[in-house]
Amino acid sequence: MEGKIIVVTSGKGGVGKTTATASIGAGLAMEGKRVAVVDMDIGLRNLDVVMGLENRIVFNVVDAVKGKCKLAQAAIKDRRINNLFLIPASQSDNKNVLIPEDMVRFGETLKAEYDYILMDCPAGIERGFENSVAAADEALVVCMPEVSSVRDADRVIGLLYARSITPKLIVNRIVPEMVERGDMLSHEDIVDVLSVDLIGLVPMDDNVIVSTNTGNPLVLQKESKAGAAFLRIAMRVNGRTDLPIEVPRAQGKFWKRMGTKFGLGK
Amino acid sequence: MSAEQQDKNAVRVKGMGDGLCVMLDPDRPPDVLEEELTRVFTPLRHLAVNARVMLDFGDGEGGDALVGKLGDFLRDSFGVGEVARIARRGKNGPDERLRQRDMDQSWHHYRSDVLMLTGRVRSGQKVTARRHLLILGDVNPGAEVAAGGDIIIMGSLAGTAAAGQTDDLESIVLALDFRPTQVQIGPVMAAGLPASPRPFPEYAHVEEGGIVVEDYIRANPFGRLPWPEVR
Ligand SMILES: Nc1ncnc2c1ncn2[C@@H]1O[C@H](COP(=O)(O)OP(=O)(O)O)[C@@H](O)[C@H]1O
Ligand SMILES: [Mg+2]
Repeated sequence: MEGKIIVVTSGKGGVGKTTATASIGAGLAMEGKRVAVVDMDIGLRNLDVVMGLENRIVFNVVDAVKGKCKLAQAAIKDRRINNLFLIPASQSDNKNVLIPEDMVRFGETLKAEYDYILMDCPAGIERGFENSVAAADEALVVCMPEVSSVRDADRVIGLLYARSITPKLIVNRIVPEMVERGDMLSHEDIVDVLSVDLIGLVPMDDNVIVSTNTGNPLVLQKESKAGAAFLRIAMRVNGRTDLPIEVPRAQGKFWKRMGTKFGLGK
Repeated sequence: MSAEQQDKNAVRVKGMGDGLCVMLDPDRPPDVLEEELTRVFTPLRHLAVNARVMLDFGDGEGGDALVGKLGDFLRDSFGVGEVARIARRGKNGPDERLRQRDMDQSWHHYRSDVLMLTGRVRSGQKVTARRHLLILGDVNPGAEVAAGGDIIIMGSLAGTAAAGQTDDLESIVLALDFRPTQVQIGPVMAAGLPASPRPFPEYAHVEEGGIVVEDYIRANPFGRLPWPEVR
């Protein structure tokens, strides 16, 4: 097997990287792929909580990278979704215990075992970021419709290009009513500044918080618009580039289809 | 400054691509200038033979009459090739033929001093040009562009631009969509410029010690110059 490593990053914290990693990972597994999601937020782990797997942790990513355990021992199988595995962060270590060279080596091990490996990148552009992108083949940049978040995404996109990684953009936490009133940046405004391919638009959705608190996967919640949006992103990641991008609308009822203008898959 | 020192400064020479550029003070008497030319050309020996020589009288008046005289002198004494005068802003003589020749010469003799880039400058990135900077693309918020001379952005300027670094007040910053976070020309700085309702070409320049932003098409600052000049 020769898997693909995708880093989920943003520069800024609290924009939905962890939510996106868990949901897209679940979506890819539901597409029948073998998936590992790796929590690279060493010292501040929370992907395990979002996935409801925190009480199953024995070994973590630092143990696996340092060879203190086998990959299979650190990978926790999801309770509800087949083929989905979590490699949790360590809670006690400092993020400087890992170096990018470690990660490149570890990446090879992961790629031999999984179709897709999603790296949940910590906030910032220091060592944690370096470690997360070291082995990455592709990148998903998560951004909120907020000036400071766009600024940080732009910074990160520059750093990714410098590593020859062409990122794709997820705009998360869109409030359509605010966009329509002109109180929130539209995704067009954001794409104008960042000029990268869009891979999905995710609305603000209370189900995200419910899901996080219950550990019940967002993508399994039928009524969750954010869950549906992440599922579609997962399908596009998995090669369904013909799938149109849907723009969250106010009035709640319908989605507007966007043309192929922001189409992917070049 | 001693008299001798002053005479030394009356003539300076610098290499210029495939020719020599000689800066002279036209206010000095011709015989002093010839003496000084001898001083700087003698060590050049064969390098001066057939060399193209551009005489630069700076902004001083009255250089035109000197060009012929000093040209003859240089050809006779050192075997140089063509001798011409460098065109200067608004200081050229009335002779159309001479003006045309000066203009043509100036194209031949100047090397490009422009850093031209395409693409987007992103937040956290910095681009610095020794002299003029031309970007076909956008400068994002959080990005910085800086130049020894002018900055021309064929796109939107939303980041920080510093032209004329570090002390050239003549430099300009021009963008098709002008909404920088901050603009600096030489040491003069401006921030918090009011946003324009829609994108149109604007440029910033220094006027009476402050930065002024104007509609570029309407102001047409260089359209008033009667013929093209090297900037
Ligand atoms: N689409 C969304 N709608 C509502 N809340 C969201 C959405 N995406 C993320 N959140 C919330 O935002 C917060 C930060 O999300 P998280 O995924 O932890 O971000 P990060 O990993 O980038 O720090 C969490 O409380 C999460 O529940
Ligand atoms: Mg996180």
